[in-house]
Amino acid sequence: MKFTTRDQLKAWLDGLAAEMDLVAPRGVDGHVFYRPVASGDEVLFDYERPELSAKAFVFPDTEVFLRVEQRGKDVTVEEVRTERKQVIFGVRPCDAHGLAVIDALFLNQEPADAQYQHHRERTVLVGLACPRMWEGCFCTSMGGAPDDATHLDVLLREVEGGYAVEAVSEKGKALVKGLKTKQKAGDPPAPQTNADAVPVVDTATWRTLFNDKLWQRHGERCLSCRICTYVCPTCRCFDVVDRVVDTQPGLTRIERIRVWDACTSTNYRRAAGGHNSRPTKPGRIRNRFYCKFCYYPEDFGPLGCVGCGRCVVSCPVDIDITEIMRDVAAKGGQE
Amino acid sequence: MTDSIYVPEMARLVDVRQMTTAEKLFTIELPGGRNLGHDPGQFVMVSMLGVGEAPISITSSPSRSNGVFELCVRKVGDVTNAMHALQPGAKLGIRGPFGHGFPIEKMRGKDVLFAPGGLGLAPLRSLINQVLDERGTFGRVIILYGARRPEELLFKDELDQWVARDDVECRVTVDRGDEMWDGHVGVITTLFPKVTINPRNTVAVTCGPPIMYRFVLMELLGKGIPETQIYLSLERRMKCGVGKCGHCQINSMYCCQEGPVFTYAQIKGVEEAL
Repeated sequence: MKFTTRDQLKAWLDGLAAEMDLVAPRGVDGHVFYRPVASGDEVLFDYERPELSAKAFVFPDTEVFLRVEQRGKDVTVEEVRTERKQVIFGVRPCDAHGLAVIDALFLNQEPADAQYQHHRERTVLVGLACPRMWEGCFCTSMGGAPDDATHLDVLLREVEGGYAVEAVSEKGKALVKGLKTKQKAGDPPAPQTNADAVPVVDTATWRTLFNDKLWQRHGERCLSCRICTYVCPTCRCFDVVDRVVDTQPGLTRIERIRVWDACTSTNYRRAAGGHNSRPTKPGRIRNRFYCKFCYYPEDFGPLGCVGCGRCVVSCPVDIDITEIMRDVAAKGGQE
Repeated sequence: MTDSIYVPEMARLVDVRQMTTAEKLFTIELPGGRNLGHDPGQFVMVSMLGVGEAPISITSSPSRSNGVFELCVRKVGDVTNAMHALQPGAKLGIRGPFGHGFPIEKMRGKDVLFAPGGLGLAPLRSLINQVLDERGTFGRVIILYGARRPEELLFKDELDQWVARDDVECRVTVDRGDEMWDGHVGVITTLFPKVTINPRNTVAVTCGPPIMYRFVLMELLGKGIPETQIYLSLERRMKCGVGKCGHCQINSMYCCQEGPVFTYAQIKGVEEAL
């Protein structure tokens, strides 16, 4: 294996931070988030699961994507782009998997989402394998693993005295050229995984349970707070809003902004005039899970869940995606 | 740089016509008089920059393009209120056309029964006029149009022409008449017993408020028209028009991609569709 030390990684990250946008796990008031960092010293190496996914760095929660200038009758519309490259360091394999799920819709379905594609192309994902699974995690049930390299450009695994380095993609190989490594004998240890798997049921079975009472039961306690979407590495619904940022005689500047949206929101479906084709909380909760386990895989391929477990630990009323998957499996099996 | 699907093209408002107190007809020209190149039943995303963007069905027919297209818009939300304040010559952003419209080729040789309700005439008019412009290639053309009040009837001049034509069977009704109204009074379903059709050879096309679909569908199915020959155009909140934002999703169908026109067979039993 290719071996490197934490100090060598930090020196490498210092160099990267000088050239491009560097994002990495960072401690923030006792919490861990992926955040922009300016040097290797700011990077957290020992952490569990950052509280939010890395999604926001390729699909920002709020992003100006068009700038408009109106001068009299002349209107110019300009797309907002950055030329800078971006490295997300220490990304967990589930979060890289989450981006691959979004890719299935935003990149692979024509037409590609140009804004997302722009961020995706400028980004290199350097993963750090989880030494074990954390509270609520079930990545191994969703086709992932704590040390899954599939959706990463580089995978690091913790070993005695340092890290094993695996460059996965061409992008990754180019990036690690600047990292000092040496060959070392041995293989990285396998991560600890949970014993009890969460059952994943086929979409046909999901379709038989659309009108089951379980949606009422799970849905009526939902607070419509949308934290599940906020923390989710695969949720990708968005709203678009305009903001007038400057008005002078003969000149108006406008920004068009994309913001995350959530299907659990009351007004998500409300059309102009007031008709709401998904008016109840159980209906909206049901949609959340049908999107992930039935519609998304049928339409775009991958399941809409990577088993990161964030929604499980975030929901204030304990709506637990694994409990729902188990309920669906049990009910589906009974039929 | 990738060409973005989200950049609107700045079009020019050529003409505005007040249709009713709530609806206006907008005639729009793309840069250079380029044809929109739409199919009947498709929609565009209209940008009122600084206010927002909304999906609006195209009411003009491809057969009558002349370098412009028409939108019939009810003043009902932020974007449409801003549109209603526009004067001819103003600029507005256009993306599209998007979605799947009415499959006109499948309708050729068949009798076509149109059943628009209220503003539902707007998207259907794009097909009606296309069919009339290619009149010889269709069987009977039947139009059953209902509105709530006489003053809410849209495209009155065209309705008069359709009623006057020998090769069109057009009946108009209002839910409630007034002292000037000497036409039929009653909801749209009261027109159906007045027409006899050959259901196997008939294609039905309907669009209207959600409540109307239930009753119109009962009439159409009651006449024996196959579910695969009944077309509806659905309205949904949309933020992108290209199948990404999620809002218009009906089960595993995206209204902006597979729709907005669906056959009844496609959406029958699909919850949240109607």
